[in-house]
Amino acid sequence: MEKVNVTIDGRTFEAVKDKCVLEVAHENGIYIPSLCYNSEVTSSGGSCRVCLVEAHQGGRMRLVTACNYPVRKGLEVKTDTPLVRRIRRGVLELLMARVPDSEVIREMAAAEGLTEVRFREDTGENERYKCIACALCTNVCAEVVGVYAISMINRGADKKPATPYLKPSDVCIGCGACAYACPTGAITLKEKDGVRRIWGKDFPMVRCSVCGTPYIPEAQVDWIVKRTGKDRSFFDKCPDHR
Amino acid sequence: MTDVAQFDRIIERYEKTEESLLAILQDFQREFHYVPEEGIRRLSEVMEVPESKIYAMGTFYKALSLTPRGRHTIKVCTGTACHLKGAPLILETLERELKVKRNGTTEDGEFTLECVNCVGACAMAPVTLVDEVYHGQTRASKVMDIVKKQVGS
Repeated sequence: MEKVNVTIDGRTFEAVKDKCVLEVAHENGIYIPSLCYNSEVTSSGGSCRVCLVEAHQGGRMRLVTACNYPVRKGLEVKTDTPLVRRIRRGVLELLMARVPDSEVIREMAAAEGLTEVRFREDTGENERYKCIACALCTNVCAEVVGVYAISMINRGADKKPATPYLKPSDVCIGCGACAYACPTGAITLKEKDGVRRIWGKDFPMVRCSVCGTPYIPEAQVDWIVKRTGKDRSFFDKCPDHR
Repeated sequence: MTDVAQFDRIIERYEKTEESLLAILQDFQREFHYVPEEGIRRLSEVMEVPESKIYAMGTFYKALSLTPRGRHTIKVCTGTACHLKGAPLILETLERELKVKRNGTTEDGEFTLECVNCVGACAMAPVTLVDEVYHGQTRASKVMDIVKKQVGS
């Protein structure tokens, strides 16, 4: 793999060419806040705009999203200039107005010294709850799980993730990867008496034959068996007792 | 609406690629005056494209409707010029006479009433479209006559 030298906040690092700025920064202990990016999901990133940084290259400067900007030879990145701070505060202020219930965004904003929002706060008329419509959940469902149970519906201010016709999905396996990946905890996953409820559908869980803990939805076992050919009996016991 | 053959007849006309999806949905819209849920499900099966993807397309494009629409569509332009020339009154008249709210469909499924934000014919303001036919200088007192004359009822 071709390596290049890249400068971030005055320090120079060797990095794999075309890796994203955000990952190179994090590997080297430089923090850039972000929400919609997950390094395990190729199709993620570029939507929340929280990770905007200055990219200096060839005598020009541009504000770019660190999560999907590739490092190249001679790139210099600045993550902590007055401009970056101001833009980041602006982005967080808008996000805070959109999802006033989100603790994650509130904390992130507080770290930037932002506690008040100048804009009208969303009152929940679109039933978006804590969702910032970043599409990480739908990307995870499609790319990582391969199920395509949810997609981003509507557009503009009404855009949100949902199952077709907002009905319980025929294909959802109840794995909860979407809820796990969601940066703001906007997807509700509830478990009670060996039944998991997510996206309006109930999933009976398989209980571990040793400890009795319900630990995986039956539908997820079916999916894994179908996709990988793994023996069904493997799922009799939970990971702690295998 | 449960007969899949009527959907297959349309789907067959196209190549089995994702690029055909939008054209097929448009044909559904033309044929049934909306995109039926069964149609999306059948399209998903035949084209082997996840239902969630096709549903997302259906919600994204304004030209597609997921709920049944009337046999005739009346569009009232509420762009700036038409607004000033009395579009609100035309809209209210149609709502009252047809007993339908804006962006709704009459109970008998005859008419869908829509507001649009400029149809590019401001010189003719206020403009009303009945099934894509432009009627310029519409007056609230005459709008129902125009509709009746064109639709022929």
